[in-house]
Amino acid sequence: MNATIAVQMVGADFLKLRKKRGTLIWALVLTLAPLLVYFIVKGVQHSSSPAEHSPAGGIEGFKDAMPVLALFFGPLAAIMIGTDGGAGDLAAGVFRDLVVTGRARLALFASRVPAALGLCWLVVLAGYALMLIGIYALASGTPTPGAALALNGLLFTLFSTGIVCVVAVGLSSLIGSRPAALTVLIGWQLVASRILENIESLGSSRKLILSQAVAHFSPISLGQHHGPRGGETVTMSTATAVIVSVAWVVVFCALGAWRTRTMDA
Amino acid sequence: MSDTELAIETHGLTKRFGARTALDGIDLRVSRGAAFGFLGPNGAGKTTIIRTLLGLTHASAGTMRVLGHAVPGERAQALQRVGAIVEEPRFHMHLTGRENLRIVSAVRGPQTRARIESALTRVGLSERADHKVKSYSMGMRQRLGVARCLLADPLLLILDEPTNGLDPAGIQEFREMIRAMVEQEGRTVFISSHLLDEVEKTCDAAAIVDRGKIVTQGAIADLASGGGARHELILGVEDPERALELLRASEVVAEARPDDEGIRVVLAGEPRSAAQLNAELVRAGVGVTRLEPVRHSLEQRFLEVTSRLDADLVPAEVKA
Repeated sequence: MNATIAVQMVGADFLKLRKKRGTLIWALVLTLAPLLVYFIVKGVQHSSSPAEHSPAGGIEGFKDAMPVLALFFGPLAAIMIGTDGGAGDLAAGVFRDLVVTGRARLALFASRVPAALGLCWLVVLAGYALMLIGIYALASGTPTPGAALALNGLLFTLFSTGIVCVVAVGLSSLIGSRPAALTVLIGWQLVASRILENIESLGSSRKLILSQAVAHFSPISLGQHHGPRGGETVTMSTATAVIVSVAWVVVFCALGAWRTRTMDA
Repeated sequence: MSDTELAIETHGLTKRFGARTALDGIDLRVSRGAAFGFLGPNGAGKTTIIRTLLGLTHASAGTMRVLGHAVPGERAQALQRVGAIVEEPRFHMHLTGRENLRIVSAVRGPQTRARIESALTRVGLSERADHKVKSYSMGMRQRLGVARCLLADPLLLILDEPTNGLDPAGIQEFREMIRAMVEQEGRTVFISSHLLDEVEKTCDAAAIVDRGKIVTQGAIADLASGGGARHELILGVEDPERALELLRASEVVAEARPDDEGIRVVLAGEPRSAAQLNAELVRAGVGVTRLEPVRHSLEQRFLEVTSRLDADLVPAEVKA
């Protein structure tokens, strides 16, 4: 398979995803609405009582808003898009029609990943742009993030959502069902991993939790008890965080690719 | 017939699902440039053989060649010029017909992109190509399925129950399209169906499959007559007893017996010996009021072979 076909296949997968209005709208709502609510509530509070409430924007607003986007709602949007990307062909019943073209099944799987990532990052970029607008527009004269911090925040947000998106593609390709993959991943992100990271007796094994490894790369300090989504932060070396993050991606991609290659279509 | 003249060739093809054998040593030979019907009752193994040929599922045993390429070894080359609809044609409902074709075109390769418009025109969907597939009727989806097949400029089309869900006009239209593909474009069309009439009207040759085994295969006319050499007549005569006597003594008659419609005669030779037979009867003073060749239907043959299978499956003690 040459590069032209690979690019066309990714484009075709991207087309399927971007035209799925339900998924796209909900991903945008999940990404944008919490930020809007945050800025509106904080803005109203600050304007009604500036002495009691800090501005919605500025560096403090950035520290509050970025985890909301990068570690909570952004990954949820990534899960929605990733699970659709992984199981969309199977759900529509067209997987077998793609297989009968003679194209390698691994190529069919491989094209799903960049397509889902592409759409996920477009949605997240929209969220990040909204966040920056709010941070600078509602700073009320307080210090604002510099270009380097804003860029690091963007890269971190793309990393944290991208990794979850790829895991979602792999898991939904493995399970073959979008609703099941969606349930498992949202359950894991919102409930299971949050419970696990607060069980101190699990000790260093909590480093295996994806959100903990991802949080390690945050450009802002999340604080000992302000870990991802309010849980406890487990300290780990950068090497460990890299290994854990890569392992999640590799394992789920391998499982998804294996299932795509071996399943009866 | 050499391998290259065959569009599909299988030897001992077997597919098991656990203890159940869905395909049992299938030997199939489909010539190029013809419409071939794969006929059998529901659950006979028709879809399973298609899925196996296309690499959607693995064979448990046996060998297959599609357009001269071994499958699964050379699957990519084999399927390059194959278009297939397995069971009902499925699409991304939220996309338009054209977008669905673009997706398959992207997977097949850039050379197929230029065929999208001609494929849509060929199946009469140009005007509705930019409408979402969820608004299409069943017949339109079938036609879009064929358009998707045409992107490959297929030498071989494999269609699984292609007229399911179509109204009579749609069936007629579909049949004409298949015949045009065979006769005008020289494509091979492999159609699986449980509709005897459909296969008889559309196909040049067929195989009858039941319980995972091919019961018989050959040209439609040969299949219907039970082997090709069987020519039957219905005779109406003025003196049936005398006629029967003469017929049984005639060297051009293999068998003669009274029938509800007159006398049923099985000729020993060519159909033209019917004229000789007529002359013999008239010379003997027996007036002939009717002489009609019997047209064997595939349906008769199908019921004959499948009921024979049923009888074979009845345990000996029950037969006794």
